[in-house]
Amino acid sequence: MTKETFLHDKHIALGAKMVDFAGWEMPVQYSSIIEEHKNVRENVGLFDVSHMGEVFVRGKDSVDFLNSIVPQDISKLSYEKAVYCQLTNKQGGLIDDLIIYKLGILEYLVICNASRIDEDLNWMVRNSKGFDVKIDNQSHNYSLLAVQGPKADVLMRKLGLSDYQESFTIKPETIAGIKLLVSRTGYTGEDGYEILVENKNSEYLWDKILDEGKEFDIKPIGLGARDTLRLEAALHLYGNDLDENTTPVEAGLSWSIPKDKKDDYNGKSVIEDQLHNGTTKKLVGLRMLDKSIARHEYEVYYNGDKVGVITSGAPSPTLGANIALAYVKNNKEICTGTIVQVMIREKLHDAEVVKRPFIQKRNKVKLL
Amino acid sequence: MTMPENLLCSKSHEYLSDNGDNTFTVGLTDYAVEQLGDIVFLELPEEGSEFKKGDTFATIESVKAASEIYMPISGKIIDINNSAVESPEILNEDSFEKGWLVKIEPTGDVESEQADLLEYEDYKEELE
Repeated sequence: MTKETFLHDKHIALGAKMVDFAGWEMPVQYSSIIEEHKNVRENVGLFDVSHMGEVFVRGKDSVDFLNSIVPQDISKLSYEKAVYCQLTNKQGGLIDDLIIYKLGILEYLVICNASRIDEDLNWMVRNSKGFDVKIDNQSHNYSLLAVQGPKADVLMRKLGLSDYQESFTIKPETIAGIKLLVSRTGYTGEDGYEILVENKNSEYLWDKILDEGKEFDIKPIGLGARDTLRLEAALHLYGNDLDENTTPVEAGLSWSIPKDKKDDYNGKSVIEDQLHNGTTKKLVGLRMLDKSIARHEYEVYYNGDKVGVITSGAPSPTLGANIALAYVKNNKEICTGTIVQVMIREKLHDAEVVKRPFIQKRNKVKLL
Repeated sequence: MTMPENLLCSKSHEYLSDNGDNTFTVGLTDYAVEQLGDIVFLELPEEGSEFKKGDTFATIESVKAASEIYMPISGKIIDINNSAVESPEILNEDSFEKGWLVKIEPTGDVESEQADLLEYEDYKEELE
């Protein structure tokens, strides 16, 4: 049976088209994916992302435990800060990608992908032996709303955000009498906030944001536009661009991995070897040179040889071109500016290797 | 948007409209384009090519995915809608008058091949 978020009735009332996503019935679009996409780039959009997982990690060994399961150095994460992380297996493959927030001295919040909550929890519990930690899955008690776009900040201030918040920080806030955890993070490449709210208050908060956001031309945004927005920002989607057989180095995430981390973590030897000696495959951005659209699992060719596969592809409403992410052989000849071909319905179509992200991101990702 | 007369629909959401001169117009129903959402790409066959009933003759892509379009009856392509290829978004506005796909000359037994197609009203009812 598919699960519903606490905002399900709101989506139906707004005329959303609902689809199954990772076992959840979620809004894919309210009006039009392209319109919704543009509204987030130009104004502001409100997303229900309550399907995502919230896991609290508390206890004396929280830092050591988290440090043993991600390549990032959690000992350097300071109070009320957030960091983009990967949950790696023994071979360095990706079990999930996460954001970890430090809420207190010995209290952390892990936000994980809806499709991976069970795997993440199993893995965390299995790896917690010998650590004094409590792993507390609270996914069923919280809703998560995202307010994203250039007008997100002014809207949040109007709603009563008490304090200036830097990018990649989290703070307890009270908005309209409701206690929330507000972080300046997102999955669109825009400035914006994500708001963790208890289920019982989610409908009230949803309405309040839409109502107060009217003067900023807010729109509810479905998962369809969330996907095109994240793709333009070249943010990975687990299950498409990331999986258990792909390491963070292959996925182009080396920037997020500290080179001097002392503690051991799952897959460290593989990841460190790849950081020094390179990988056999690499993630690249592609821009189609005709009107065709490269989709997930289409093959990529170079000089007549199959060199890779598309992991995500869609039209880019911002660029007016079709873009894609692909894994290709880590061959020096395949670099920015190289023309490769994508096999689409038995025909080869030219695509240019371009820099990621495809657009200029307007949020700032802070390194530890 | 005007609905053509003599319209039959397939369960895979193509329509077939009898032009009365032994030619037919084929397109996608308003329900189909509404379900697809923003249409961003359309690939049509070349004039002169022939297809059997049920063959894939065109591809349409929304932002999210690519879908195949099937021939409601066997026929030879005698005209294609180039403005729909140029600006596939016109299908979202009107898939009947402006956003038709191809015109065909039937090559099979029209009557028997039409047997599993539905009148527009019945098609609409089936969707509910």
